[in-house]
Amino acid sequence: MTAQVDEFEFFLTKPWSDGFPVVTPTEERVQRMLQGTHRDPDEFLGNIPLTMGPATVRTVAIHAAMAGCKPEYLPVILGAIPIMLRKEFNLNGVQATLGPSAPLMIVNGPYAKQIGIHGGNGCFGPGFRANATIGRAIRLMLLNLGGGVPGVGSATVFGTPLRYTACITENIDHSPWETLAVSRGYSPDDNVITCAMVESPRVYHDNVSAEPGQLLVGIADSMHAMGSFNMLRKNSDTLVAMSPEHAGICAKAGMSRSDVHRQLCELAGSKIGELKRGGPWAGKGALRCGYDPDDDNFFVPAIKDPSYLHLIVAGGLGPQTAISLGWGGGSFAVHGKYDA
Amino acid sequence: MANDLGFIDPTYSGGNGQIAMAPRPLDLAGKVIGLLDNTKEQANLILKTVGDAFVEQYGAARVIVRRKEHYSKPARDDLIDEMAQEVQIAVSGLGG
Repeated sequence: MTAQVDEFEFFLTKPWSDGFPVVTPTEERVQRMLQGTHRDPDEFLGNIPLTMGPATVRTVAIHAAMAGCKPEYLPVILGAIPIMLRKEFNLNGVQATLGPSAPLMIVNGPYAKQIGIHGGNGCFGPGFRANATIGRAIRLMLLNLGGGVPGVGSATVFGTPLRYTACITENIDHSPWETLAVSRGYSPDDNVITCAMVESPRVYHDNVSAEPGQLLVGIADSMHAMGSFNMLRKNSDTLVAMSPEHAGICAKAGMSRSDVHRQLCELAGSKIGELKRGGPWAGKGALRCGYDPDDDNFFVPAIKDPSYLHLIVAGGLGPQTAISLGWGGGSFAVHGKYDA
Repeated sequence: MANDLGFIDPTYSGGNGQIAMAPRPLDLAGKVIGLLDNTKEQANLILKTVGDAFVEQYGAARVIVRRKEHYSKPARDDLIDEMAQEVQIAVSGLGG
């Protein structure tokens, strides 16, 4: 860089960052990043909607460098892109939507722990390089290759802090259960990424419930609202991240992960009569979902299909559960193995 | 691509993905208009008003209406192809 050009200010004057300074992508830095993979830099992974910029191993490495990744993080990002580009995930829609959701990556398997993806205290917040930069690399690609810039390609009304970065793992050291990936049939040794379109989490605090019956009613209450997409849209993903303490209350009472999953699916929702009190009730949504809008006692489940609920154990020690509501634009969560 | 400043433009794609814009007609008289309903609330009403105006005020020959399956997903390729065969101008509901 010349003495007249401040590289950080230069990049910030361009629409190439998320508003934070980036690591300037020089050829030297990109080559160093490419040492994190054995794959051909010209290997094509897919086009990123909306503007369909090409994601190749090299362009991924460029954005990983900009985000501040270590080379060993690159396999996770390379693995995530093809998963996110699956048609059922509808990345095209979420890039353009007025909604706030972001593609949250839940990374399971031994490689996540090896490279330091964090699933304990503060896992949704700042302070953890792998979480922060892997998710950021994805977002930078969605901006620079996909054109999902607010007000330009993206109509998002508010955005969400989750759009800065959205990458976590589970707190497997303190979880009483198998991981999300294992619950879906993967081996504990498989490196797996689950992506779900969700909003920033809200936190349910409960230091009173000492048995699962009471606790899960409280958690379920936070899994829906009048205006949440999972009530009157046919499909919408919901993330429930129980802290080890909350999960432990259920496990101690003999509940397995699938028991808790099932009970949350049964509990979360509202009756038609409640939904009619206000908000975005117009009857059409109920009809669209196959419900009778005149049956006030009908219970509308927030989780329309068990596969739409993503139950994990994450966070630090404390009586809280984080819930992230999903999008209503026809996105189905996706998951798959990646090569570390 | 690196430049004289020594860094890489992250948006550079080597010219891939360029789409040529279709030429704009100078008037609507005699044209067939396609209206693509994206299924958002009242999109059909808005588009009908627009379509009626095209015929009554601007002399369009006729209007055909097609409807997407979902507001946040692209229209099916066969739907787009069908409209492309039949219409000279298309108006789409936008939003998701």
